Formats: sequence, C-alpha cells, structure tokens
Amino acid sequence: MGQLEIEKLTETRFVLQMGPHHPATHGVLKLYTEFEGERVLKIVPDVGYLHRGIEKLAESKTYPSAMTLTDRLDYISSMTNNIGYCLAVERLMGIEPPPRAKFIRTMVAELTRLSSHLLWLATHALDIGAMTVFLYAFREREQILDFFEKICGARLTVSYPRIGGVRVDINEKVLDEIYKFTEIMLKRVDEYEGLLTENRIWISRTKGVGVVSSEEALSLGLTGPALRGSGVYYDIRKLIPYDAYPEVDFEVPLGENGDTYDRYLCRIKEMRQSTLIIKQCIEKIPEGDILTEQAPDIDIPHQGKRQISAGDSLWSGFIQFVDKKTELMPPGEIYSAIEAPKGELGFYIISDGSGRPYRMRVRAPSFIHISAIPKLCEGHLLADVIAIIGTLDIVMGEADR
Amino acid sequence: MNKLLKKFLFLDIIKGLLITFKTIFTHPVTIRYPKEKKEPEEGFRGRHAFVRDPETCKERCVACTKCAQVCPSQCIYIDFSLNVETGARVLTKYEIDALRCIFCGYCEEVCPVNAIVLTEFYEYASYDRKTNYFNKEALLKNWDEFINQYKGNEYVNKFWYLPGINRMRLPVGKRQPKPVPLKKFNAGRD
Repeated sequence: MGQLEIEKLTETRFVLQMGPHHPATHGVLKLYTEFEGERVLKIVPDVGYLHRGIEKLAESKTYPSAMTLTDRLDYISSMTNNIGYCLAVERLMGIEPPPRAKFIRTMVAELTRLSSHLLWLATHALDIGAMTVFLYAFREREQILDFFEKICGARLTVSYPRIGGVRVDINEKVLDEIYKFTEIMLKRVDEYEGLLTENRIWISRTKGVGVVSSEEALSLGLTGPALRGSGVYYDIRKLIPYDAYPEVDFEVPLGENGDTYDRYLCRIKEMRQSTLIIKQCIEKIPEGDILTEQAPDIDIPHQGKRQISAGDSLWSGFIQFVDKKTELMPPGEIYSAIEAPKGELGFYIISDGSGRPYRMRVRAPSFIHISAIPKLCEGHLLADVIAIIGTLDIVMGEADR
Repeated sequence: MNKLLKKFLFLDIIKGLLITFKTIFTHPVTIRYPKEKKEPEEGFRGRHAFVRDPETCKERCVACTKCAQVCPSQCIYIDFSLNVETGARVLTKYEIDALRCIFCGYCEEVCPVNAIVLTEFYEYASYDRKTNYFNKEALLKNWDEFINQYKGNEYVNKFWYLPGINRMRLPVGKRQPKPVPLKKFNAGRD
C-alpha cells in the first residue's frame, strides 16, 4: 500500500534548478529541469554565466593581441584555439607558414587533443563513479603540460602559435622526450580501456544512454567526436585539410549506435590516432624557418598611416593628404574552421583594412552541443543527465565566450 | 556461453583491479609541494623583472613604450621626460599591474634592448594587491631576487632572441643572443 501512495505523490512535477555551481556540470552551466518521478520531462539549459565579451574585446585589439584572447575560450585546449585563429588570419592575408612550423603546429595540436581528451575521460569517469581513471588520466596530462612548458614557457594559456608560423623553435631534446612519451601513452590508453571498456558498471551506465541517430546529430549541429559517435564521417582534418594533416597518415574512428558508450570508444580511439600523428610529425619534421617573411610583426599599429600623394602644384614641397589610410590587412571576410578536440571550431573575421579585426565571431562547438542536451536527455533518469553532459564534452569558457 | 562465464567469474572487474594493483609497485608521481619544489623550465613566463645592467647597475629601459603598445591587457604604464642636452628619453615612471597581466610574453619579445623579462620565479602570491603592483624599483628588486636563486653563470631568455626566427626580422640589438653575465654583475654590486 505504501508503495502505491508514493507513486501517486510523484505524479506532480518536480522542478530542479541544477547548477550553475554544480560540480558535474563542468563549469557554470545551469539546467532548469522538470522531473516526473526520476524521469526527465523537460530540460532548459541556461548559459551566460562566464560571459567575458571576448568577441567584442577582440575588436579593440590588434590581430596579434587578439590571439591571446583565444587562449581563454576553451581553456583546456588553448593551443588549438590559437591555431584556429592564426589560420583564419593567415587565410585572410593569403600567407602560409613554412613546413617546419606546419609540422610543429600539427604536433602541438595533437598534444592538446590528447590532454583535452584525458581531462574529458577523467571527469566523465568521475561523474559516473570511476575514481581511478581520474587519477591516471591526470598523471599523463601533467606530462603533456610539462611539454608545453618546455616548448613555450606556459602550461595552459600558451599563446604559442603566431600569425604566419610559431613563436619559438622546439629543440631536439624536447622532441626526443615527446617521442618517448608517445610510446608510453599507447600503453596508458590500454590501461584506461582495461579499467573501463569491459567493466559491467561502466557498460550499464553508458550503453543506450543519450542515443542520437546520425540524421538527428546532423540536424542538431553536433561536430567532432559527438557526431562521429553516431557514425557520420565528418572530420575537418580530412575534409578541409590544414597545416600538416595532408602529410600524415591517420584514421577517423567512427561509432555505430550514437550512444554514450560509442562516443567514449570514439574518443579513446582518437587518442591512439593522436599519439600516432605526434609520432609521425616528429619523424617527418623538416629543418628550416618557423615564420614566413610576410608574417605581420606583433607590434603592428591599430591603423595604417594616411596616404600621401604629390600635389599638382608647381611647388615641389607641396604634398596632399588623402582621406584613405594605407591597408595593413587585405579587407574582406573569411570563415575558417579547424577540428578542435571538442568539435568544429570556426573563426569568422571581417577585416576593414586596419590593424584590428572589424568583427570576430567564434563558432564554438560547446555552445552548439549544449543545445543538444534537451534532445539527448529525453526520457532519461537524473543520473543519466550527468553522463550526457559529460559525453558532450562541454567547456563553458567556450560556450559563453 | 563464454560471455556468461566471464560474467560469473567477474573477469572484467578483476582485469581492472589488476591494473590498479600493479601501481602499488610504482613510484608516486606527485611531489609534496612546499617541501619539494618543481624547477620551472627554461623560458617559463613568471614574475616580471627589469634586467639590472651589469655595467651601469641600472635598468636598461630606453622608454620606447613599445611594450605598452603591444600589451593585450594594457597593464604597463610608462612616463618619460626628455633630456634637453642629448635629446634622449629619460624614464620617469614604469609600472606593471601584475594582477592584470596575462603572461603572454609579448613585452619581452618586442623590447629592443632586452630590458623587461618574465623571470622563472613563480612564488609571489600576496595578501594585498599593492605587493603585485610593480614600479621601477620593485621590478629591479624582482630581478635581484630571481638572480640570487638562479644557478648558472649567465642568463638569457628564450623570448629575447626567439630561436628559429629569421634574424633580419628582429631589431639589431637582438639578432645575437646576448646573455647577461652574472658573476661580473655580482662583483660590480659589491
């Protein structure tokens, strides 16, 4: 009898304001949730708690200075953000970094992908209840951050790439250390898999949770491993190659069912591929320059000088100022995207010829992934909501900008 | 059948437990921070300092204000006066708000005389905001503090001469790595 009464009571809707300081929401994400019993009826994500106005701020900075802002977008994979921004400006200017810089960029981008996926694995497993993987993943992430410190002197906000190349060269000693690390890393990934992949608790918590078919995933705008987990072949590294990706050999792992477990497997396989890419980059890295001749200096002015033309007077000292200013950047607009660890990271830049971007728009994968939470959580339990937030790999610094 | 056997024998769980058991025989990777300290790598971007020139025992800054121009967070404040006789600039005020600094290293990269540097000193947290608002004297004091704990005979920062970049892109004074000799500097101070 008591059982029946409880069921009657739970027919009323239960509203839970989850976040913005919930530890499992990976930052300051707020979810307005309505439950019937423990089943999710409705979820409304609320973003904007970490808004810093980076897009607006970039309009008052010169092109090289605005690059330091992109570090703070997705703060656990700042290297790929920098590369994405630099690539957009390079495409706008029509310049290309030298081959050595391209290989270095590819290598550090894959190191970033590894560190980002390690952090994802650590927190995702911790949310679901596996504590050990958290500690193991942070052990390897620390090594990657140490490499960043050796390369460029900073661990998180690196500001390492530069428009037209990279800032400083990597010496051979560090490359050897990274090469040794890749061999250890492959064994470590096996270790994580040994802890999780066949574990019955892990399987029952992830299989069939947050299923999204390939058509739905496409219409929701998912990118990166979240889309590839549903079996859609979409990887910008392969489709619109940039940097040294056409010269290295790698596979794009795909899932089948599009559930949390497939996305997990997808990312694990991607970690293996990243390690192999780093290995190939170190083997193939050529000697040479790391910055093109046409690259702008970091102290380019905000605005060009006013053009001067000789006047038509007979007086030889007479000059005429024209209202137009000299162009520091070719005017125009560009959208360029790269494959960040979370998904497609795009930069849309409008240039009016001055030293500052007229408009910088960031297409952040996390922001679009948040909009998929209500769809993925349909009919799931409260505990699965946590797993789904984890599997989409959301970073609020990128979503709110 | 095989799956069922695996499930009954808890093979999946045992496989995971074996991995965790193996780590008993490995060394811990953590360090006990206040007692043990991690040496920062060469070129680490830490606390700001003004290089004390070994010859003049003063700062090298020529007040070109380039660092204030490139600073993305605009945390450098410079003021200067003109020496009427020589026409040279004399630095009267140089302040860095380290709490606003984002440690991108653009200032040391753009400095034509290698005057400003982000040293490899990282333990400078304070209880008040004033301590981390460096003026000219504080920046020179930072350099002395850093150099006293620095092992080695000469100091050169990676971002001063940017290895790998075409030399012709850099200002004339920065094309060759010019290390700051430390022994000479110490003798000069005594």
